[in-house]
Amino acid sequence: MSRDFATRLSQQLSQFVPHSAPLVLLVLTLAAAVAFAAVSHLVTRFNANQQARGRKLYAEGMADANAHRFDDAIAAFRAALTCDPSDSQYQLSLARALRDSNDPRRLDEAESYLVALWQRTPQDAAVNLALARVAAHRGDIEDATRYYHNAMYGVWNSDSDSNRRHVRIELIQFLLKRNASARAESEIIALAASLPPDPALHLQTAQLFAQVQDYSNALSQYQEVLRLDSTNPVAFAGAGESAYRLSDYNAAERYLRDAVTANPENANSRQLLDSVGLVLDSNPYRSHISDAERNRRIVAAFAQAGNRLTECAQQLGIDLNPSRSGGQSGSVNPPLDSADSSASPLLALQLRWSAMKPSLMRLRTPRETDLPDSIIDLVFQIEQRTASSCGPPQGFDQALLLISQRRQAAGQ
Amino acid sequence: MTMTDPVPVPTAPASVFLRTPRRLFTSLEGVFHEEVFFLILSVFIGIFSGLAVVCFRLAIDWTHLALLGPLPHSHNWRMFAVPSLAGLVVAVLVMRVFPGIRGSGVNQTKAALYIFNGFIPFRTAVGKFICAALAIGSGQSLGPEDPSLQIGASIASALGRQLEISREKLRLMAPVGAAAGLAAAFNAPISAVLFVIEEVIGRWSAGILGSVVLSAVSSVVIVRWFLGSEPLFRIPVTTFKRPTELVAYAVLGIVGGLASVAFAKSIGYLRPRLKALPRWTQYFQPALAGLLVGLIGFLGAPQVMGAGYDAMDQAMHGQFGWKLLAILALLKILATTLSFVSGTPGGMFAPTLFIGAMLGGAVGDVERIFFPHLTGSTGTYVLIGMGVLFAGFLRVPMTSVFMVLEVSGNYEIVVPVIVANTFAYLVSRSLQAIPIFDLLTRQDGLILPSLEEAREETILRVEDAMLAVPKTILNAQDYVDAAARRVQDSPEPAFLVRMHPSGWNTVSRDQLQRLFQEGKGEHTLVSVLPPQTLPSLYPDLPLDAALRYVNDYPLVPVVNRANSHQLEGVISRDSVFQKYGQK
Repeated sequence: MSRDFATRLSQQLSQFVPHSAPLVLLVLTLAAAVAFAAVSHLVTRFNANQQARGRKLYAEGMADANAHRFDDAIAAFRAALTCDPSDSQYQLSLARALRDSNDPRRLDEAESYLVALWQRTPQDAAVNLALARVAAHRGDIEDATRYYHNAMYGVWNSDSDSNRRHVRIELIQFLLKRNASARAESEIIALAASLPPDPALHLQTAQLFAQVQDYSNALSQYQEVLRLDSTNPVAFAGAGESAYRLSDYNAAERYLRDAVTANPENANSRQLLDSVGLVLDSNPYRSHISDAERNRRIVAAFAQAGNRLTECAQQLGIDLNPSRSGGQSGSVNPPLDSADSSASPLLALQLRWSAMKPSLMRLRTPRETDLPDSIIDLVFQIEQRTASSCGPPQGFDQALLLISQRRQAAGQ
Repeated sequence: MTMTDPVPVPTAPASVFLRTPRRLFTSLEGVFHEEVFFLILSVFIGIFSGLAVVCFRLAIDWTHLALLGPLPHSHNWRMFAVPSLAGLVVAVLVMRVFPGIRGSGVNQTKAALYIFNGFIPFRTAVGKFICAALAIGSGQSLGPEDPSLQIGASIASALGRQLEISREKLRLMAPVGAAAGLAAAFNAPISAVLFVIEEVIGRWSAGILGSVVLSAVSSVVIVRWFLGSEPLFRIPVTTFKRPTELVAYAVLGIVGGLASVAFAKSIGYLRPRLKALPRWTQYFQPALAGLLVGLIGFLGAPQVMGAGYDAMDQAMHGQFGWKLLAILALLKILATTLSFVSGTPGGMFAPTLFIGAMLGGAVGDVERIFFPHLTGSTGTYVLIGMGVLFAGFLRVPMTSVFMVLEVSGNYEIVVPVIVANTFAYLVSRSLQAIPIFDLLTRQDGLILPSLEEAREETILRVEDAMLAVPKTILNAQDYVDAAARRVQDSPEPAFLVRMHPSGWNTVSRDQLQRLFQEGKGEHTLVSVLPPQTLPSLYPDLPLDAALRYVNDYPLVPVVNRANSHQLEGVISRDSVFQKYGQK
């Protein structure tokens, strides 16, 4: 019966159908316009509902992501994206969650979302930063550097200076982790050039300089920190260590003393201070000391070098005393291969040391102007040789070695 | 002025406005002859189909959200309760309100073209819209593309009937609407046009191509206007570097071909058996299928429910290991078979793509385990796998290639796609003689033409029935008595006469003898023969072309295409029938 009704209705409707082609097209155009408007209204309402649902799911996803529940966050962001597939914030958040979920298989998908976003807004700093982090996860230095730079020079919605600085610091840390020190250093120099007067930032920059062993710039940054915050114990310690590495022992002593005063628990500063003290107390070239004191220091250094030579030879199994080795001077115990290469220089130094020993008595003679330098040169050679053969020295020997290195650097 | 003089009527501005449209319409009538009108109508079909498909997709999304929630996950009671309950509702609607909407809709559209003069009831569009949206939205393992195709075809058919266009054009309305519906659902106009030509129309027809293209493009424009131009899945970077890697893709093609056969055979085996069960069971078949599909989702594979585009997207980005990919492919074959054979309205395009994607990813990952130097990413294998199943299961080789290229927008992988699809197609064709859509049509008692059949059909040509050039060829200037003497010893009953400056005629032995007896021996043949010119045939023409002439003429010359004076042979009625008899 319903079919009959439909047939009759269709027949009646067909009576109203125009038969002139232009009229038919006019009617069709009107019908299409009406249908278009109706569907448009429907789609708008549906999209509004979907967007509301998407926002709710996105909020859930963000909560999950902040709580490091990345699997839940990924599911929520995916659902949010089904509600509004074109929302770039959802895509970016999903990509971040995929990246941070520590599943290498998800990096491809994360990158795919981010590349799609990047193609739409290549200047977006947040997208570039996310891409940089994906590349950093992969250990790809070139891509990571490129995207980090894009992020630095890209468009930030707010607080662009601070964001750019943080991105550069992140890039530096990534480069340091990948042992790309030269690249890292150039980034740190760029960072230092644009720092606001903030002691914390200068301190961080100084530490980064110290990490790449650029102690000169590190010292400058620590000094800047102390200019802004004159009681900062970390800056005292850092400046002291930087000065120590630069062999500026007077400055190092000053900073380290302040560091130890400010923080007596700082064992590293205390140890360095001791070392600096030894250097300063044993340095025969220190200005404003009397001749007698200088001679005393030379004699002490000579004796210490002799002891160091003997200990090192014993450590390597080399007998420096010919009378105890069956008449053959400098015989070497067979199993110690390393001794083969070390024996001859050590023996030569021992001979020179023994030959030089009687001349110590002539130190007070005014005519012997070259003698102090000859003695100290031998001391430095002994310290350097034993350091390379027997490992880094401690205490007085370490001080002598540091003085020798400083002299060498000054000579060059 | 006299009383008989016509009274001048002042022309009011209003009447000018009334008359102008009428004049315009009258002048436009001449412009809109049927061909042009049909083309313009194709655009409107595209627009209406596009709008319908937009609503259809919204309906599926809304149903999915309402029934399964925004975050469907395993071990949720809804996963198996919803598809089975929705299956019950769908079954009642299909059995009671909308009969004839079972299955995908591709066969019904093809049947409308070849059997029902383009008639598809509008009720079909309504029923398909409601039931397919409910089924797919509730998680049945079916896709929205084939129903969209049928909805488009149904709208076009209804429009054609209402406008009372000619029967010939009405017959073509269904494929035009089908292309619009499929293009809108797939967001891929080229693939839609090719599919309709390969599968629905089943032959290349220049007459309809323009309309099909216009409707497909206009429907895609509408869909993109409302739903955006985002692809169905995000395409990762796909590369093809070394030609030697084609072997790996060929292996994928073979595996995909075998999977296609398994999928097609399972549907072909189960469908008629379930249909043969008592009618009352058909009320419960969709519900049972829904229960089983839901159980698969409940137990840990929710990806197989619904169309599965999200899962394809994840597979394309390497989210699943090869074991999970292989399991999902198997489960999807099972789930889709259950959903489809139960008579639930829905399409097989999306499931085919899903199975291909998972299988492609699995094969690619396994190959890379054994051959780590292979450079193709998981995404590349997933994408090519989709085309492979399309070629193997749906048996539309051209569409399968263009579908992958159109969806990916990447022509770099065209060679692997062609290689893999060809292998899949060959494997499938050798193990499963009848393509799936033809199989379903035959199970429904209909025999429809297919492009695959046409491709494989041996066509007889004129050269196959052509006889050698006759020994005796007369000239138009020959005298009748001389001609009669020349043919005296020849066994043939009729002879060709070469006319001047060109053309051919025939004369029979009896005709020559009669002319001679009538005392016309001194006349030339051209003066006594009726002024006719024989039609010429070319060797490469289908033999059917010769049938038009062999009854009227005893001999028909077959000439060279490059030189019409050069005779290649002759055709006679006996030679044509003999050839057909041999066949």
